[in-house]
Amino acid sequence: MTVETIAELLATCTRARRAVVVRGGDTLRGMGLPPAPHATVLSTLELNEVVEDAPEDLTIAVQSGVTLRTLATRLAKHGTHVPFDAPRAADATVGGTLAAGWLGPRRHVYGRPRDFVIGSIAVLADGSTVHAGGMVVKNVSGYDMSRLYVGSFGTLAVLVQVNLKTIAAPPAVRMFHLRLPEGTRDRALAQFAFLPVAPSAAFWIAGYHGTVDGEEGDEGRLSVFLEGSESVLQRATRDLRSAMGRAGVPDTRIVDAGARESFERIVDAYTVSLGERSITYRMALFPDEVLAHVDACKALAERFDLRTDAIVDAINGDLLFRVSELDAHAFGAKIEMFDDALHDLEPRAIIVAGNHPHRASLNVWGEPPDGLERMRELKARFDPAGILNPGRFVAGL
Amino acid sequence: MLHDRLVDALGADAVKTAPEDLRAYAFDAYTEGQLPSAVVLPASTREVSAVVKIARDCGEPIVPRGAGTGLCGGAVPVAGGIVISFARMNRVLAYEPQRRRARVQPGLINLELSRASARDGLFYAPDPSSQRISTIGGNIATNAGGPHCLSYGTTINHVLALEVVDDRGEVFTTDIDRPGYDLTAAFVGSEGTLGLVTAAWVRLMRAPEAVRVWLATFADVDSASDAVSAIIAAGIVPTALEMMDAIATRAVETAFQAGYPTDAGAVLLIEHAGLDDDMNAYESDIARIAREHGANSWRAARTQAERDALWAGRKGAAGAMGRLAPNYYLQDVCVRRSVLPQALHAVERIAREYRLTVANVFHAGDGNLHPLICYDKRDKRQVAAVIESGNEILRMAVDLGGTVSGEHGIGFEKRDAMTAIYTTQDLAAMARVREVFDPQRAFNPEKIFPAGVRCAEVLPVA
Repeated sequence: MTVETIAELLATCTRARRAVVVRGGDTLRGMGLPPAPHATVLSTLELNEVVEDAPEDLTIAVQSGVTLRTLATRLAKHGTHVPFDAPRAADATVGGTLAAGWLGPRRHVYGRPRDFVIGSIAVLADGSTVHAGGMVVKNVSGYDMSRLYVGSFGTLAVLVQVNLKTIAAPPAVRMFHLRLPEGTRDRALAQFAFLPVAPSAAFWIAGYHGTVDGEEGDEGRLSVFLEGSESVLQRATRDLRSAMGRAGVPDTRIVDAGARESFERIVDAYTVSLGERSITYRMALFPDEVLAHVDACKALAERFDLRTDAIVDAINGDLLFRVSELDAHAFGAKIEMFDDALHDLEPRAIIVAGNHPHRASLNVWGEPPDGLERMRELKARFDPAGILNPGRFVAGL
Repeated sequence: MLHDRLVDALGADAVKTAPEDLRAYAFDAYTEGQLPSAVVLPASTREVSAVVKIARDCGEPIVPRGAGTGLCGGAVPVAGGIVISFARMNRVLAYEPQRRRARVQPGLINLELSRASARDGLFYAPDPSSQRISTIGGNIATNAGGPHCLSYGTTINHVLALEVVDDRGEVFTTDIDRPGYDLTAAFVGSEGTLGLVTAAWVRLMRAPEAVRVWLATFADVDSASDAVSAIIAAGIVPTALEMMDAIATRAVETAFQAGYPTDAGAVLLIEHAGLDDDMNAYESDIARIAREHGANSWRAARTQAERDALWAGRKGAAGAMGRLAPNYYLQDVCVRRSVLPQALHAVERIAREYRLTVANVFHAGDGNLHPLICYDKRDKRQVAAVIESGNEILRMAVDLGGTVSGEHGIGFEKRDAMTAIYTTQDLAAMARVREVFDPQRAFNPEKIFPAGVRCAEVLPVA
């Protein structure tokens, strides 16, 4: 589909009040409520052109259907990158990742994906094509429409092009995998606040066997990802080893070759599901409270006799919490009650993965945000016929 | 009637209506607008709500105001109305160093937040040159930048959540970590046209372990801008990369004795913050590129005092221009970093054509030009030439694929320039947002959107 055909399609659907499902690589299909039945599918996958590659400006303009892998490969030639950190980079598209408001673990170093967007072209529901921003890195000219479309889950507009600023890729990377013996987890995680060289990512992981690297100890395992120059990596390695030593964590396995892939497997795990017998929740917390929350979630899941896997982003405070059963039928029998109980405990938990057939009966987006009334008015202004991804986003937006 | 209702709600000392009291609020750092009907200084969100409700009842528009340091008429009333000064809402409401965030009122002065968090090794990154007096609320309104936003990003990258009073006087909050539309992004940079920010959670950053500042001198602006383009093209983005031409450097030295050489055609002030381990390699890379592009000299500031002096000079540059002429006009455009040499050439040509003195002191690493045009406002020829040359610089930036404001905003001054970069449809999309939050156009009217364009005209029929 070209930009022109998308514009025609949307204009037609608005006139006919026909629902449209906007789809990129379909890698985040575990997010959001199910699409309307009989909706027209608008795929952005054919919008796969690099519109303008400007390495001398540290910018690039791509169509929204370009995959994260294609973008990364292109930028790697210039020694640059845009750290989206979204699962399944080979299939995930730039537009889809932005529209879903995806947040990855390295944002504390590099910033959020939205902060790399310097301009955009979007098609509105009435078929008009609108530009925002440009190819310059600083621009205060009216409202920041690009950031408004980002994170709107395709319900305000269809992104067809995004202009991005890029940054130099780190020269070297290193991954650590540490098994945590009894009584070391809390002390080990508390160390990250004090490390002079902040790791690019630090995870506490329990479960996800076979999905991510590293061996599980009595209290799970840590995976720490470092980026920087060789001398910084050496120093950070020393600091990390002595900090872990103080926390009583003995062995440190270092992975240099394949460190990036090992990191990407963890990011992929955020949305790895067991089909109809698992659901993954995501919670945005603070690093100093996240362990207490993961323990509470685990205790709750145990009451329901559900299996659990967890990834804690120790630096940003994100918690990914997957509950599952061996049998889809048994899982289906209890997930709705568990979902209610979990939201009593964590009202803001959102669902990011899992293919439960009765998804619509789960609290997929958690508690609605403040300012909802104004968001509804925005939706009505941008999509008066309600054709863009109807029923999928939070609180009916 | 308006006066009495405002006094009832806020108390007499928070309401000004005498013409001599109103006069100061008709100005910002760019222009003089009209006298407002009243100026109020609320002390709380509740009082801001009350003012909005009274203004609505009385049909008065509202013009929010921080410190009035804006450079495009954003905070001056041009259609009368009530000016809401946030000068009394200037407190840090919550400070959480371990979570690296603070909740502040809009009238808090930018630099005070960094000062207050320094004891915990933290700082607030956006650093407009006005940061000693400008407020965080005003910075949010213009998505303010500053020298260090080259690597830290502008204000939008540092705002986590907002508390907003809307056009009905109701309070709602935005939060970038919640699902839903990114209303935080809509409000940051909206120049007070969507609602009134009454509190903000902002991000604090950990102070870097090492900071180095270097000064490179060049024979002329051409070679200095070539060097900047080459540094960026090499993928090197320092924490700050600033340029000053000879006129600016001399004015700064005369005013501050900051340590800049007065015989150079142009200087680059380069700062990098980060880890000790990387600094030497970083310095040799960047110095090599500078030399390859004609740098005559390269020196490092050795002490904190030396660094501070150089930065004080840079941030005081606009003020120092007072020594060159009675008045100056500060333009703000942004171009792609690879065309910096062409853009500066064009500025030089324009200055020559209009027989004006133009000093350049700007955020070179961002491609964000700040030509500073000196003039005497008593001379009519010069005033006309300043306006024309300013417009020509805008056109030049647009022709080079750039934008009409990098960081100062559109305000009243540049609203007609919006059509140079956006189509009617593009502007209509923005107007849809305005219609939702401010259907009556009561918040900061006649700003951002081109004159004579009303919503109904740019808004397609739904």
